[in-house]
Amino acid sequence: MTLVATGTEHLARMGEQVVSADAGDVLACVGLGSCIGLALIDRRATVAGLAHIMLPAAPASGTPNGKHADHAVPALLEAVLELGAARHRIDAVLVGGASMFSFGTDGGQQVGARNAEAVHAELAKLRLHPRAEATGGTRGRTMRVRVADGRVVYKEAGGTEVELFSTPVGLRVAA
Amino acid sequence: MTTYSDLQLDALRELANIGSGQAAASLSSLLGKPTDISVPTAAALPLADAVAVAGQPDEERHGILVPIIGDMQAAVVLLVPDEDAQTLCSVYGLDPHSDDGRSMLQEVGNILGTSYINVLAQMTGMALEPAPPQVVHDMLGAILASVLMGRGEDLEVALVLDSDLTVEGEECSMSFLLLPESGGVEDLLARLGL
Repeated sequence: MTLVATGTEHLARMGEQVVSADAGDVLACVGLGSCIGLALIDRRATVAGLAHIMLPAAPASGTPNGKHADHAVPALLEAVLELGAARHRIDAVLVGGASMFSFGTDGGQQVGARNAEAVHAELAKLRLHPRAEATGGTRGRTMRVRVADGRVVYKEAGGTEVELFSTPVGLRVAA
Repeated sequence: MTTYSDLQLDALRELANIGSGQAAASLSSLLGKPTDISVPTAAALPLADAVAVAGQPDEERHGILVPIIGDMQAAVVLLVPDEDAQTLCSVYGLDPHSDDGRSMLQEVGNILGTSYINVLAQMTGMALEPAPPQVVHDMLGAILASVLMGRGEDLEVALVLDSDLTVEGEECSMSFLLLPESGGVEDLLARLGL
């Protein structure tokens, strides 16, 4: 599901994405654990999109949707392009993919790490470049994207807000 | 999308009622104080709503995960607000943020999870056993999403059996959730003849 946001803070809940071209908007993923929050940002066009991705890929029998990286990443790109983003100016920022618990039944890689890997692979297919990321570890995170200037911040439980991505002063566009 | 009939949800609610009743009795004997349970809720919810059942996604909780293995894969999750964890641990003079405090919470998870699961096993004839509990202090949304997605299963809806436990005279309460994997719920219902 893609919601077009206008004004103030908009949440992308699990499996959802939000996009906005309104400089007054902030897009947020609250309480990311093993999920990935993926932001695609065109600062020149004042367009940003945020997807809350839960799993690497749809199972063979299922229909891919916003939960899955293989569907969510191209769908988010399409949505920000529709709002006027230019493909060559898009910056990608990833947050999440933590391993808070060990399930250890299959001895395989944890779902958080597999999610991060899948999002990277999808970005590479679309020739989009991750500019910043805060992934892995054992703590949950909340991320926020300010549409006005593409600034991305995140916060871990009990921690303080960390700036992950910001606009170089020379590139800031007057409103 | 998986849905359950009212009759099936009633049966699951009754299982949760008996299970959490047993868990409350165990908590009473651990703490030496009477413990009450609320009437449990049983609901099959889209994942985003399943997280919302327990509170706002950015509220911090002590999360105690007790993985259940055997004939059904499931997770028991206890969510304890910090002040309630302080109360719980203070019975033994411990701080929930210390190693000993975390061990205490782990033990609470062990005792409650085990008594709950034993009831389920007895009633359904399933072989079920708890794996060692894991304790975190983190955001509610991150805890529940990580548990629900932990095995990488592609869930549409989560079955949430939620009870509140309250320790009398201590203003201490916690949420108690049973989150079975989707195949496990069908097995559970089949065992009950539903």
